[in-house]
Amino acid sequence: MRRRVRSQNLGGARAVLLHRPHPTVQALERQLHAIGLVAEQCWPELPASVLAADFVFFDADHGHDSQFPWQAGAAPMPMIALIGSEAPGRIEWALNAGADAQLVKPIGDGGAFSALLTARAAFDARQALAAEIEALRQRLDQRQTVVRAVAMLMGMGKTEDEAYGQLRAMAMAWRISFEAAAERVVAAQRPPRAEGGQDG
Amino acid sequence: MKRRIDLGLLYSRSGSYSLISEACRMGVLTAVAEVNGDPALDISFAPVERDPGGNIDLYGPLCEEILRTSGARHVIGGVTSWSRKEVIPTLERARGTLWYVLPYEGFEASDHVVYTHACPNQHLLPLMSWTFAGFGRRGYLTGSNYIWGWEMNRLARELIADAGGEVLGERYLPIGSTDIRRMIEEIRATRPDFILNNLIGDTQYTFLQAYAELGREDAHFRPATCPVLSCNLTECELPAIGDAAEGLIAVGPYFRFAAGQPQPGRFGSSHEASAHAAVWMLARLLTGRPGAETLPISALLSEAAAAGIGVDARTHHTVLPALVGQVRGGRFEVIKDFGRIAGDPWLTRGRGLPVLSPKLRAVT
Repeated sequence: MRRRVRSQNLGGARAVLLHRPHPTVQALERQLHAIGLVAEQCWPELPASVLAADFVFFDADHGHDSQFPWQAGAAPMPMIALIGSEAPGRIEWALNAGADAQLVKPIGDGGAFSALLTARAAFDARQALAAEIEALRQRLDQRQTVVRAVAMLMGMGKTEDEAYGQLRAMAMAWRISFEAAAERVVAAQRPPRAEGGQDG
Repeated sequence: MKRRIDLGLLYSRSGSYSLISEACRMGVLTAVAEVNGDPALDISFAPVERDPGGNIDLYGPLCEEILRTSGARHVIGGVTSWSRKEVIPTLERARGTLWYVLPYEGFEASDHVVYTHACPNQHLLPLMSWTFAGFGRRGYLTGSNYIWGWEMNRLARELIADAGGEVLGERYLPIGSTDIRRMIEEIRATRPDFILNNLIGDTQYTFLQAYAELGREDAHFRPATCPVLSCNLTECELPAIGDAAEGLIAVGPYFRFAAGQPQPGRFGSSHEASAHAAVWMLARLLTGRPGAETLPISALLSEAAAAGIGVDARTHHTVLPALVGQVRGGRFEVIKDFGRIAGDPWLTRGRGLPVLSPKLRAVT
């Protein structure tokens, strides 16, 4: 997939830095302020306001799951790991915590901007995939309903193609999905009129 | 008794962009002479100069040599963004500061660099606004093959798209290449409303000659209907362009003979003025404060004395006029003044263009 990363406007975005006070935090804050973000450092607790943050940077060296008010990997915003020790166990934890990007400590003069864009792109891609999977799963669940609706329409003497065609026409008339139309047909337990006028 | 402070100077005096280097050197050396002769200041600057000769791989080592072999912690230099990025790791290690005095493509705010010329919200945004209103939104983008052209054209592409315009072509050439025929043929074929010129050095000079020739063949390709626009062209390169410069448009913080400016004619170009200003900003940060010359720039800028210097402590950028100029009779005349704009390297304040009402165009 080729993606075009716009130089999105990060001005005014909020970042929470979950890390004890440290020169690395100062260097990161300086970079974030220069880019135009509002940064807030905290440790070891995340404030309730974190739910409104646009980015979370978290310490991968001393962090643990119970610091986050959400399920591991289910953060509602992009997450960036601050990695000091590259021990495999810590990297694994950071990944499971939902790191969309990383910065290696000590943090100096650069790295924050690319981490922000990378994290946001990865987060958006993950969200889009999750939404698509959820939609596909729903359609999969409704497959049996579609088969039943088609069978009911065929019971009225239509061929299979005609039954599918009628279902499609109803879905269009009602402006709902094919699967939702099938659900209505089955729920009605009787063949509806093709005009479907009752739903306006 | 003045404190003598070493000041690094890192410009290529030969190579593809030496005209710009010379303009910057002139600004630096003029300001150094002024500072050294000013009895009100307790400092004098001693230039420590190295010449990378246009070789990009020498900027890092020579900057390191200045910082290692002299007392200099401040270096003025670099023409291309590429060279600036080459020296930043060296500065970071030695806690030194680069004063970068040329326009650049933004999206940077190193803790070890002060940017005294314009970034895109001070050049490209006003220039595009002015162009869209007066000429149209169908552009052809050119550039030399390195970060300046790539990033400027990327941002221009976004601005054009946001304005509902169209990019008719985008083409790059290696630094130093003069093989501009294909560019000219594409422009002839697509007939854009404007050309954004991010070429540098000999490539640019050759291109401008060829485009002027195209304009003699076909009246569409003349400044009144399809101008060539630059964000980094100044008076210092006009001699290399000759008659083909007539009608070129550039945006910048200073034009030499433009009416209504402080000290008209004092500097040869905005590059020279920007280099001159950099030395004076540094002098004001250091004067009367023995030992300050060893401090990192972040420490210097965080002090109260830095408030009036004009460098933003958060981004290390400055406030500059944004003037659109056109070459008329061999010199730039200001044709639009956008006022003073604070540098906003990440476009934090948005990318909204100053709104100008469209100029009515004669329908023929």
